Formats: sequence, structure tokens, C-alpha cells
Amino acid sequence: MTLARRFPESLLALLGIIVIAIAISPVAADGARIFLQPGNLTDILRQISLIGIISLAMTFVILTAGIDLSVGSILALSTTIVAMALARQGRGIAAAILLAVAASAAVGAVNGLVIAFLRMQPFVVTLATMIGVRGLAKWLSNNENIDIGFGRDLAAQFAAAFRQKWVVIGSYVAAAAAFWTLLARTVFGRHVRAIGDNERAAEYAGLPIRATKIWVYGLSGLLSGFAGVLYAAENHQGNPNAGVAYELDAIAAVVIGGTRLSGGKGSISGTIIGTLFMGVLTNMLRLNNVDSNVEMMIKAVIIVLAVAAQRERKSK
Amino acid sequence: MKRIAAALACLLACSCGSGGKKQFFVAFSQANNAEPYRAAQNALMTKLWAQHPDVRLVISDAQQDNSRQIAQVETFIRQKPDLLIVAPNERAALTDVMGTAMERNIPVICLERDVLQPHYTTYIHSDNLEIGRNAGVFIVDYLKKKYGAPKGNIVAIRGLLGVEGEINRDKGARQVFDQYPGIKIVADPVADWVQARAKDRMTEVLRAQPRIDVVYGHNDPMAVGAWLAARELGVEREMIFVGVDGLPGEAGGIKKVMDGVLAATFVYPLCVDKAVEIGNRILHEPGFRPEREYVIDSTMVTPANAAALYAK
Repeated sequence: MTLARRFPESLLALLGIIVIAIAISPVAADGARIFLQPGNLTDILRQISLIGIISLAMTFVILTAGIDLSVGSILALSTTIVAMALARQGRGIAAAILLAVAASAAVGAVNGLVIAFLRMQPFVVTLATMIGVRGLAKWLSNNENIDIGFGRDLAAQFAAAFRQKWVVIGSYVAAAAAFWTLLARTVFGRHVRAIGDNERAAEYAGLPIRATKIWVYGLSGLLSGFAGVLYAAENHQGNPNAGVAYELDAIAAVVIGGTRLSGGKGSISGTIIGTLFMGVLTNMLRLNNVDSNVEMMIKAVIIVLAVAAQRERKSK
Repeated sequence: MKRIAAALACLLACSCGSGGKKQFFVAFSQANNAEPYRAAQNALMTKLWAQHPDVRLVISDAQQDNSRQIAQVETFIRQKPDLLIVAPNERAALTDVMGTAMERNIPVICLERDVLQPHYTTYIHSDNLEIGRNAGVFIVDYLKKKYGAPKGNIVAIRGLLGVEGEINRDKGARQVFDQYPGIKIVADPVADWVQARAKDRMTEVLRAQPRIDVVYGHNDPMAVGAWLAARELGVEREMIFVGVDGLPGEAGGIKKVMDGVLAATFVYPLCVDKAVEIGNRILHEPGFRPEREYVIDSTMVTPANAAALYAK
């Protein structure tokens, strides 16, 4: 199976970076390695959860040979909507979340509709959405951050509930399980792969190409919106400027996980490994107080090495 | 294209001239609406000019892009404003175009950041180095009180490297800390002014540093992000958090001092009150000659005066 072959390759890169992280980890007063402290390990999981959630749907998008540049803007829109609904309009928690996620999914579905029916390039369509939705979020909020305070009101209760570590990590795990099943075990998942592998062949085979694309981009919007809800809770604010360049982090995670940008080949498990890889790498460099400019350079080299290593092994 | 421009210009001229009394056109070129500090500037600017019915204000947003701001100022110059206010995105880039405005006899107020040549009628700004020193003195006083001697561990959360505000807020504070060998900056992660990023970086610092007395965020959102990280680990009461900016409003730093999140913040003045005051005199008093430069003092915000400042 392709899955079984690809799995160990990116996993090897992840294990390698974990070994390095353990080896160079600073040591706490009690002699334990800080990297291995349970608190630090769950920190990593919490910090990668938002990008992790977004990159799940991004994997589907890239498998169809598409791309979604609008995820960061949709996340910002979602943080804005959920914070405004709670703090300014006094809506209930469930209603506010539903509103934010539904609006985000709708934006994603519009992406899909335009791509499927106008046959425009996903890069162009989602680029336009990235710009327009960022404008929408800023316009809605009047360029301001919307504060979610620390009182006892509904908005504060929302933040207190959804910023808990296990809720954030649990959301990621649940979404990952759902999307893994969707890709590996359903007809829909097979359609996604088939379209990216050879769209014309898929068309001749009578697969529902348009519907599949609309679903894929709709899911991407939905997950970005959900990540936005978690962002708002974690940072106690709706922020129309949130999520800048998140699309690039998500794409990096997908690519490091072995999914081909040209579509057809890739897996959710690979993307999860890619996300973990970036999380461990960042944590390792920060725990060692590496200069932030050097950090960027090291990251660049390691990303290329990680992807190149997979290529080499595969070509044998 | 030219015809459209001409029609627009005519329309502008008509709408300006229709009041009978002289109407003034004030153009404000803002560097980047996305920063809360600048959004607050815009809001106050709009509010203050609205009190003058003979003034029409237009604000443009350069979205942190030099060439976009140059283009926007050029467009303003074509419209011959009675007053041009520029909050430059970067010093070097805006120098030339502001010179062009001066050559066309348009009074220019340079707001908050200066340009390389004195291509302005007046320059209204605050002093980040002084703010950094004030923050440093506040932190040292706190440590003296806590330990009976000037010693302790500080975490500095840095903004975007290379920006004047970041450099001087850092430098000013370090000038003070350097006088006391017992005071150490044990970590200084970079969070690019962003709250969410400060929270992540502070989480790692908290793991690696057993003892932290003070967190000095180079702006309030980063100090708040660090506080959120400490709160998650239940250690937010073991240290204090100091920020800079002290913006008004619900999401601003003054409110965070009232809420007990920040121990203190140092107002980085919006400079807008002074700009509108001076701008008004330029418009309405023909013989008025403003000073070359106005420096606006910072205010320290602590729980003692936060509520009063917030109400203002």
C-alpha cells in the first residue's frame, strides 16, 4: 500500500528531530530534560493544533491538485464573528460558534463553487478570497480587536471553556481522526484522490468532480472557521489581523508530510507527522534560546532536507 | 482616465465650495490601519476633526507598504489639500514625496515617525527611548521593593526587530538595567508585536526559566500574551507584567491595568490631539508659524490612575 510505504519515511524525519530535541534540551533544576516534561510536550500539541486542524482540510485541497490561500483570512473572520456575537451582540455560546463556523464554511463553499463552475485556478480564486475576506473581517470589526474579558459573562465563559489545553488538543485529535477516516475509508476520499491524480480520467469515469471540489473547499473553510473559534478563546479576543501567513504554515506541514503539491498522492497521517515535525522543531529552537533570525534560517534548511530525504528514499 | 480625474476634481471642488464659507480639506496618510495603535489614531482624528464643520477629513491606509503610501500621498497632492498629515511607514521611503508636498506649499504635519530630511512644517512625536527608560525605572523600583535590593530576573518580549520603536524601547530599559549587576534579562524572545505569538514564546520561556520576576513587553498585546501563558501554568501571580502603548478602549492596555493583568503600562501618545490643535491653527490663523517639533510626554498607567484615564 502507498500509505504503508510513505508512512515510515516522514516518520523517520520526525523521530530524527525528536532525538535531536531530546539530546540538546536544556535541563531543569531537578535534572529532567525540559523538552520531555509532560507540560512541554502538551504545549507543543496545543501550539500546533490550530495549524494542524487547518492543514487537515488543506491536505484534501492539495490532493485535488488545488490550493487554499484563504484559510488565514477565514480564521480572522471567524475570530471576529465569534467575538462580536458574544461580546457585542450578547448571543449564546453555541449560537456564536455556529454563526462563525457557518460563515467560514460558506466562504469556503463559495471558493469551491467558483473553482468548480467558472473553472478558474484555485490559486487565483483563493488569493482573491484571501484579500476580500481579510477586508470583510476588518470592516466588520472597524479595524479593532474585539476584547473578550476575564469577567463572568458569557464571552469570558466561552474563552475559559475553549482555551483549555485538552479541549484544543482534543479538537485536533477528533478532527484528525474524522479526516483520516474520510480520506482512507470513504468513497468521497477516493474521489478526492482520483481528481488530483487525473482530473480528465475522473471526469470520463463519471465522478462528481464539481460536487467534490465544493465539498473540499467548504470543509477547508469550515475547519479554518473552527480554528478561528479556538484562536479567539485562546487569545481572549476577536482579531481581524489574526492568521496572517497561516496558509503557508499549513501548506508546509502538508508538503513535509509527503503530499505532492501536484495532487493525487498523500495522506492525512503524513500531514499530522509534518505538523508535529514543525512543532517539535520550533519548540526545540526556542527552548535553546536560538536567535530568532537564525531560527528562520535553520528552519528553511531543515524543511528542504526533510522533503529531499523523502524524495531520495522514494526514488530507490 | 484624465477625463475621469478631471470630473472627480470638479466634483470635489464643487462639494467643497458649496457651503458658502471656506471649506478645508485635510488629508491624512496613515501607514497601517491594522495596528491597534494606528486604528486608535484614526478614530481620534475622525472624532476631533468632526468638531470642526468646515473641515473635511480623508484618511488613506497604506497597509504597511511604502510604495502604496507614496502613491496615496501623490494622489492627495493632486487634490491640493489645505493640510496634509502623514504618519510615515518608514523614514527613508516617504522623505521625497513629503518634500514634493512642501514644494507645492501644502502644510505638512509629520506624525510619530520622522523622515530623513526635514520635509515637514512640524513634527509631532513621542520619545520611545524615554518610555523605555521609564519602564526600566519602574521595573527596578519594583524589584528593590520585592527583594530589598536591585536584583531579579527579567523576560523582555520583543517586537519586530529593526523597527525604531522596538530598538529604543529595548535600549532605554537596558540602559537602566545595566546599572545593576543583580538584574538579569534571562530571555528575550521575539514576538513581532503579536499577542498570540508572545503567548507561545512565553510558554517556552516559562518551561526553561525557573525564576522570573518581571515580564517587560515592548507593547501591551505582547505583555498580555505573556500573561495568558503564565496564567495557563498558574504562575501569573509570581511575576508582574509591564507593557507599552496604553491605548484607550476595551481591548487597550489601560483596561488591562484596571483588570489587574498588567502592573503598569506606558502610554505611547497618539499625538493626534496635538496634530489637530496645530493643524487647526495652521488652517484658521494665517500668520501662525508652528514650532519645528513637538514632543508629547508619556504617562505612566498604574492601578492608581487607570480608571481615571480610562474614563477620559
